[in-house]
Amino acid sequence: MKNNIIILGGGQAGIYAAREIRQNDSKSNIKILGEENLLPYERPPLSKDFLLDKKKEEDLCFHSSDVLNNENIEFENISINKVDFENKKLFAKNGDVYSYDSLLISTGSENKKLSLDNNLKNDVYYLRNLEEAKKIKEIVSNKNKITIIGGGFIGLEIASSLSQLQKKVIVIEIGNQLMGRTIPKKIADLVQNTHIEHGNEIILNKQIEKITKKNGNYEILLNDNSIIETDFIIAGIGSTPTVKLFENTNLKLDNGIVTNQFCETSIKDVYAAGDVSNFYHPFYERNMRLESYQHAQNHGICAGKNIAGVKTEYTSIPWMWSDQFNLNLQLTGICDEYDEIIERGDDINNGVIYFFLKNNKIRGACGVGTIGKVGRDIRITSKLTEKDTIVDKQILSDQNQKLNKLIQK
Amino acid sequence: MSEENWIEVGSTDSIEEEDLIRFDHQDKTFCVYRLTDGFYATDGICTHESVHLEDGLVMDDEIECPMHQGIFNIKSGEALSPPACEDLKTYPVKVDNDKIFIKID
Ligand SMILES: Cc1cc2nc3c(=O)[nH]c(=O)nc-3n(C[C@H](O)[C@H](O)[C@H](O)COP(=O)(O)OP(=O)(O)OC[C@H]3O[C@@H](n4cnc5c(N)ncnc54)[C@H](O)[C@@H]3O)c2cc1C
Ligand code: FES
Repeated sequence: MKNNIIILGGGQAGIYAAREIRQNDSKSNIKILGEENLLPYERPPLSKDFLLDKKKEEDLCFHSSDVLNNENIEFENISINKVDFENKKLFAKNGDVYSYDSLLISTGSENKKLSLDNNLKNDVYYLRNLEEAKKIKEIVSNKNKITIIGGGFIGLEIASSLSQLQKKVIVIEIGNQLMGRTIPKKIADLVQNTHIEHGNEIILNKQIEKITKKNGNYEILLNDNSIIETDFIIAGIGSTPTVKLFENTNLKLDNGIVTNQFCETSIKDVYAAGDVSNFYHPFYERNMRLESYQHAQNHGICAGKNIAGVKTEYTSIPWMWSDQFNLNLQLTGICDEYDEIIERGDDINNGVIYFFLKNNKIRGACGVGTIGKVGRDIRITSKLTEKDTIVDKQILSDQNQKLNKLIQK
Repeated sequence: MSEENWIEVGSTDSIEEEDLIRFDHQDKTFCVYRLTDGFYATDGICTHESVHLEDGLVMDDEIECPMHQGIFNIKSGEALSPPACEDLKTYPVKVDNDKIFIKID
């Protein structure tokens, strides 16, 4: 049967879903509606190699228009501002109407904004998309002292890149460690030390009281009454799923769009994938929302299969990375449900990994090391988790023993 | 095919099965693999960003980059999973008297 399939949101989950649908269904119309005037592209380089000029705009797209044309996947640059699930219609700002038989929502997530006085609304920058990355890159080229509000992954990656561009960088974090509480404190401290060694200033446990403009620059007043003078401010204080469009509909929302293990939402023929979805994970037997490259890709593929009628459960073990200076940090599984923690290694040059175990099985792990040092072990860890293997803790904690010994063939 | 292009890498027992070793020659780095059906060689640096694949994981016929899990087919060099999208160069390998040689062009 020939269906009209619409993918709302032209990001990573959307493009992978589109191609997977086509693999399984040669007839249906597939249309991606995306508000950014660019084919779906990778966001990870925006805070890293794009700022450093090692990657250009043309290096970022997942696939060229030739690939999409060959597979008969349409991409339309349009912003949708109303949905009518009952009549299966989407409405664009310019009045255009789109009808669908099946809909995938992959609208991603958006940055949380600081609550600021009106006269400062345009003075604090955020990073989510290419436009913002270009603007930041252009403006920082003639600024010296840059303040980053928020010590999460994206803020720290920007801090690392700007430091490599010889900027003086200050990071202000409200919590008592970088990258949030699920990251082991020791790993957060190792990352913090690397920033400090490269000349970045890290301020923990401090809140912004007030920002004042002064002769084209800024003064930031902190809650201990100290004042930071700075030329430019970027905030990375977390993100929320992009669901405003659905708030007054009967689509079930709870920290994103609630989906089951088949990417199905509470409304028939409507699916969701990627950052926007709070999905049920059958292995962990709970719902979760992830913001990661690997998840956006695999979840998009899984949604694509289900939309094309190939019923498929989503069972991927979560994984994400962050690159800062010469460090590569990786997280696999979930690190907040455990009865035991095992450490492997204590030197950042050989990699340090924390395993989170429950009933002698690994639920998740977090590792950091100089480039290349934790990837293999983290990958093996994902496999051990997926196979629900009871692990030998002595091998886990001994860096001289290879972890692949633990994989049961 | 001239003999000179074959470079000795080491002995066959220097690589465990389903594993790899790094081999540096002049200013280039290679990875030499031992799979169940023989020995193979590729460039030693990931095509995505400049990371040594020696720290990656060999699974069946694939090498997975330790940095962002880009995956390559060891035999063909084909990039199989993003963020790797550019293929990895492969090199002919021969075994002679328990010694591994690769042919570098
Ligand atoms: C700066 C940055 C760095 C990152 N670095 C890493 C990293 O190192 N490692 C890692 O694992 N992950 C990283 N991530 C996370 C990863 O990029 C995301 O998880 C992934 O892009 C999510 O894909 P998605 O398809 O769900 O959403 P997105 O890629 O965000 O795509 C959603 C798209 O939908 C569009 N859209 C939304 N609403 C509408 C509408 N009403 N009409 C039309 N279009 C709409 C949006 O404009 C957007 O283009 C990073 C993210 C950012 C922002
Ligand atoms: S460096 Fe190998 S996948 Fe990114």
